[in-house]
Amino acid sequence: MPQASRTKKPDVKVVILGDMNVGKTSLLHRYTERKFKDTISTVGGAFFLKQWGPYNISIWDTAGREQFHGLGSMYCRGAAAVILTYDVTNWQSLAELENRFLSLTDTANTDCIFAIVGNKADLTDTLAHGPDTESERGDEAQPEVPCPTPPGTPLQHKQVSREDAVALYARVLRYKGLEEKACLPAETVCFETSAKTGYNVDVLFETLFDLVLPSILKKRSEGESSTVDLETPMEVKRTKAGCCA
Amino acid sequence: MSVKAFELVPAVEREQVMGEKVRINIECIECCGQHLFLGTNDCFIHHFILEEHMTAKGKLAYKAQKLLHKYLGLKKPVAELKAASALERLIVLCDSTITVVDMVTLELVPFGGIKLKGVTAFCINENPVTGDAFCVEMAVVLARRRAVQICTVHEDRVDMLKEVTTPEQPCALSLDGYNICLALSTQYMILNYSTGASQDLFPYDCEERKPIVKRIGREEFLLAGPGGLGMFANAEGISQRAPVSWSESVIAAAVCFPYVVALDESFVTVHSMLDQQLKQTLSFRDGHLLQDFEGKVVLASSKAVYILVPLPLERQIQDLLASHRVEEALTLTEAAQRNIPKEKYQILHKRILQQAGFIQFGQLQFLEAKEHFRKGQLDVRELISLYPLLLPASSSFTRCHPPLHEFADLNHLTQGDQEKVQRFKCFLISYLHEVRSSDSANGFREDVDTALLKLYAETGHESLLDLLASDNACLLADSAPWLEKHHKYYALGLLYHYNGQDSAALQMWVKIVNGDLQDSTRPDLFEYVVDFLSFCSNLDLVWRHADWALQKDQKIGVQIFTKRPISEEKMGQLNPNDVIAYLEKHSQALLLYLEHLVLEKKLQKEKYHTHLAVLYTDKVLGLISRPSANEEQLSAARQKLQRLLKESNLCRVQLLLGKIQDSELLLLERATLHGKLEEHDKALHILVHQLKDSPAAEEYCSWASASQDRSYRQKLFHQLLSVYLDPDLPGGAQTIAAVDLLNRHAEDFDAVHVLKLLPEEWSLPLLRPFLCGALRASVHARCTSQVAVGLARAQNLQLQHDRLKYRGGPILVSEKKGCQLCHNTFSEPDCACLPGGTPVHIHCVAKKALDLPKRQHENAHRSNHT
Repeated sequence: MPQASRTKKPDVKVVILGDMNVGKTSLLHRYTERKFKDTISTVGGAFFLKQWGPYNISIWDTAGREQFHGLGSMYCRGAAAVILTYDVTNWQSLAELENRFLSLTDTANTDCIFAIVGNKADLTDTLAHGPDTESERGDEAQPEVPCPTPPGTPLQHKQVSREDAVALYARVLRYKGLEEKACLPAETVCFETSAKTGYNVDVLFETLFDLVLPSILKKRSEGESSTVDLETPMEVKRTKAGCCA
Repeated sequence: MSVKAFELVPAVEREQVMGEKVRINIECIECCGQHLFLGTNDCFIHHFILEEHMTAKGKLAYKAQKLLHKYLGLKKPVAELKAASALERLIVLCDSTITVVDMVTLELVPFGGIKLKGVTAFCINENPVTGDAFCVEMAVVLARRRAVQICTVHEDRVDMLKEVTTPEQPCALSLDGYNICLALSTQYMILNYSTGASQDLFPYDCEERKPIVKRIGREEFLLAGPGGLGMFANAEGISQRAPVSWSESVIAAAVCFPYVVALDESFVTVHSMLDQQLKQTLSFRDGHLLQDFEGKVVLASSKAVYILVPLPLERQIQDLLASHRVEEALTLTEAAQRNIPKEKYQILHKRILQQAGFIQFGQLQFLEAKEHFRKGQLDVRELISLYPLLLPASSSFTRCHPPLHEFADLNHLTQGDQEKVQRFKCFLISYLHEVRSSDSANGFREDVDTALLKLYAETGHESLLDLLASDNACLLADSAPWLEKHHKYYALGLLYHYNGQDSAALQMWVKIVNGDLQDSTRPDLFEYVVDFLSFCSNLDLVWRHADWALQKDQKIGVQIFTKRPISEEKMGQLNPNDVIAYLEKHSQALLLYLEHLVLEKKLQKEKYHTHLAVLYTDKVLGLISRPSANEEQLSAARQKLQRLLKESNLCRVQLLLGKIQDSELLLLERATLHGKLEEHDKALHILVHQLKDSPAAEEYCSWASASQDRSYRQKLFHQLLSVYLDPDLPGGAQTIAAVDLLNRHAEDFDAVHVLKLLPEEWSLPLLRPFLCGALRASVHARCTSQVAVGLARAQNLQLQHDRLKYRGGPILVSEKKGCQLCHNTFSEPDCACLPGGTPVHIHCVAKKALDLPKRQHENAHRSNHT
């Protein structure tokens, strides 16, 4: 993996947005390193290059802190997919997506794909527990949780339901001025994940990678057409059959 | 964080700038080749020559020699200096006004064109779009104007090219091609002054913090961002690198690939652009200016100038490797690709990969190590040489210098930890195995194979035998003692064999079989050795070991001779006579060998057949004479003999007859032998009267006539019948046997002849099956003949019909009819026919045959008419 990041140029960009402490860095870390560890608050941003078949996908992890908010739209510029991340135990984190982060995506590609991701599902849902035991979670997840979990209560109250996320997705599309029917259905792009247990994390990234493939191909073909290749004979493309069609 | 990427080297001392005056501060620097210009707050420009030299310790040092200083005649500080070296001009910003001075004399140069007053900032385009080498492109920001002016500075004038309006008052800027990267009062933006397109980057409060706008390469800028971030942005307004994290109080930044150097109030920090990590921090108080000029990073306090000398890349990489930071070292190496000539880079890259591999190897990260060894095309002997005694003594290998690693050998590496030793050995096995199957062992296969053999032997690895059985280059002299040491005697034998020393190999194996040496690799080693001998082309060796093998086990030992493959070559072929003579003392083996020759290979030689028959006979006679022998053994032995006698036509019958003449028991055998001599009466006599076995007699008849014609067979059966019917013999005629014979073999008798023979008193029903059969056969024969006659007749008719058809109908010749060839009429009935039945004159045909060309002409002529 580091080999790839040293030498290759990215073909397409995916950006993770969301309020601070929702677990953006942890999600990326879980996907790339296959493990969960304490992360410190991201400064500015970081990116990771993922080799996906013959393509290189750069995944940008942004800083959620208000201080770096201004950088968001620059990171989003030219993005093929944006992952809007919230914390299922924190209603405010969902609200912030709409209030603060949605406008940052104005600079993204017009055909940008949006994913709504509720992280920390392990805190509210036994389904998302995966192989980890509960006792471990108590001490490890602590730095990630905005309001500390009272000891002894295994599950927290889920503040954001899946329906809320689906509703947000609809509003995102409306904000973008997109027809809901022409876009990807909410069930495809709304996820509940846990970076802690790994629940749904691979599914999230891999679904998105597959969805951005057409975008890569488009970009590649555009890149090709802008460069004249003197080596290979030019092929005259005929788009229309007749003269007056 | 322990990379030392830069070293701080003093360039211009305090005293050289300000002399006695205390209040003088350096305001700006320009460096251009060896020339260093300083602008001070008392409106002076100082010109130094910077001389590089090496100190005794091999470090780079600078000596500044002051050439000139010049007072600009104002009371304001010199805010900015930029050299236009092609024009030999220095562009000076002082008192918000841009002036131009001569680079050498520092004299003010009067210039035409526009006047540039009220300037707050300007910058030079390092990637200019005008092709003119003798003009410098410059972007200027004026006070209280929301605009950027693009100008060109010529030797004697300044022209304005364009003015671009901006949404806010710019306060800092940088230029690359058509792209102006601007710090406005509340944000950064990129403006294309050719197209007018603009791109907002991100908000930044320039009043609160001094912005930094730094061009770092083609269409890429470095900007001071919120929270002390160093943000990268390209001309499209996209960040292609993750930001670096400076302190909030960052003052200036410079780039020296692959590093970003930043200055704040008390430190110089060095970040890598490759991984955005902080690599080095240098304490530096009172820092004021930090700029890079053509790769040289110049740092100044308000009083003195320093140069940040980058350490040689190789040194940095080695430092990283020394602290085991493999990934960083490789990243740095690969980043250096663009600064180093290709060949040199390849050598460096390979070496770093190898070193990285050894570091990981030392940490038991074998997977990564293997990958790096592979990519770095490591001479595999470097690795082998770490393991004591594995390289052959004859190997000319010496470790590369400077060494690729710090390990003396495996013992040093593991400190005697046996478990670790095993893991290292396992790794080497798998690595060498892969090296063998790829092409990277070129040139030193002997070293690789020998090392692998040693490892296999030492660890008792099962692949040892595969290695020796396949194509290998193990050195015998080195491997043999090693295999002996680890009691791999069988493998040693294989090695001898591979090296063409079959004799030594056999000796080794014989010792194991005899129990003189202990090696349980092959429980079936004896069979293996026999098999080996059976394929061995060295006959001398075969004869030498045959005795041992036969003594050990005749049954298996004889396979040396019986399993020998038949080949056309004379070489390695054994003469059967020699073998037989040799086997004389091993009776069982001899028998097996003869059976092999006669029954399996079907050699048609009287000698072998007789010999085998004699041996069989002796065995049977032996068994008969021995009272302890049981019935089964005897019958088995007799069956073998009987089969041979029946099937073989080569035995010397008289000799065998003589041998069994006396035995009362071997009647069947005797009958068979008589049959061989065509003495059927004697044979049948024995069978019918002595043995009284009529089925055997019938079988005899069938056997004896098997390869003969029908009449012979009939004759034989008649003979048997007459034996049965002979009334002169004791016990009288054997009527029942005769009847059975007739009824069973009706087809083998001539019925008419039989009926004449039979006594009158026999009842017909007794012979009913015979008579029915005979009658049926006769009728059948008649019917069959009739059918055959009918078919033959039909065929004949058919042929006649065909013949007539092909001959065609009558040919009409008359006086009115003309000949096709000469067109004259026929006057006589004689004519010839052309194919198709056309009548022509006989003389015309003859003429035609003589005169071919003319005929062709005539044909053409005729076709014209028709």
